[in-house]
Amino acid sequence: MKSLFQRLPRTLLLVALLVIAPAITARAQDPKIQLAHLDHLAAKANETVDVNIDERLIQLTIKLFDDKDEDEAKIKKLVQGLKGIYVKNFEFDNDNEYSSADVDSIRSQLREPSWTRLLNVTSKREGNVEVYISMSGSQINGLAVISAEPKELTIVNLVGPVDLEKLSKLEGNLGIPDLGVGPTKPKTKNEQ
Amino acid sequence: MNEEYLWDKSGEPDPEIQQLEQILGTLRYQPKALELPNDIQVVRRNRYLPLVAIAATILVALLVAILWFSLQNRHTDLPQQAIVSPTIPSAPTPIVPGLEKKEEVVKSPSIDRHREIVAHNSPRRTRSEPAAPSKEALLVKEQLMTALRLASEKLNLAQRKAQGPAPNQIRNQHKVG
Repeated sequence: MKSLFQRLPRTLLLVALLVIAPAITARAQDPKIQLAHLDHLAAKANETVDVNIDERLIQLTIKLFDDKDEDEAKIKKLVQGLKGIYVKNFEFDNDNEYSSADVDSIRSQLREPSWTRLLNVTSKREGNVEVYISMSGSQINGLAVISAEPKELTIVNLVGPVDLEKLSKLEGNLGIPDLGVGPTKPKTKNEQ
Repeated sequence: MNEEYLWDKSGEPDPEIQQLEQILGTLRYQPKALELPNDIQVVRRNRYLPLVAIAATILVALLVAILWFSLQNRHTDLPQQAIVSPTIPSAPTPIVPGLEKKEEVVKSPSIDRHREIVAHNSPRRTRSEPAAPSKEALLVKEQLMTALRLASEKLNLAQRKAQGPAPNQIRNQHKVG
């Protein structure tokens, strides 16, 4: 009996660790990145796009997509499994309105093992573009894009299973409003 | 028959009753000390069970508190806002005024449905009539489309930059030059 009393606290501690540890680990592997510290750039920016849509709002919005419409059905399928869509886009009148520390604060959250840098394009004139993905098993469960151009900073963070091919095909289609952000894409034959 | 004997035994006794008294008298209460058999085994309750129960309760309460706090933090970390600057040329409808109404976007449909059910007491009717999408929901849809477009655009930009200039463009430059 005495030995049981001696072992009980240890056993309870072990059980508590076994229960709590997976929860902490799961939180640490959450592919959502913190963007709030970039809000100060909105004061300097000429144009700002700030989108925070969590899972509840996505589920609410999904009902509005028309399955009969081919384009909307595509978007619905793409968005259906997502748990969050977070975008910040700042356009400035002048160069160097944002600091490298601002970008580094994002980059520091995209570390291995949960995140993998898929693409990194560096250009002194046009700026850098980095694409990160977060994997869960063999499936992508998060996407982050950092586009740091001289007069524009864009951070995109999609949480949940992302189909990169379908996502990349969205541009210029589906009646999504053209914000004029980024370089102009050459027109296709259909558009002309 | 003298019934006084039945009340206080003062009258003349009835032989039948006396006979019954003799028969039943053997069963009357006879005070004597309690005798317990020696081979009885006393089963002791486990003393540590209450401790385990208390510890388990504390553990569950702790987990619930952690879960609750994490959910609270999650909600406070993600303020439901979506702003698109009105100066953006091709996106006229997004979205500055949507900030304060975001919570309504989530709550309003369920509240309205509940009110209808209570008022009319006809849930089938409410199911058969789909509620028109609120302005806030449409607003969120536009934001979602804007976000997806930006995501797609930046993804394509990265791909294009990684692939470099198209071979056709280089060939044309040589022809012109």
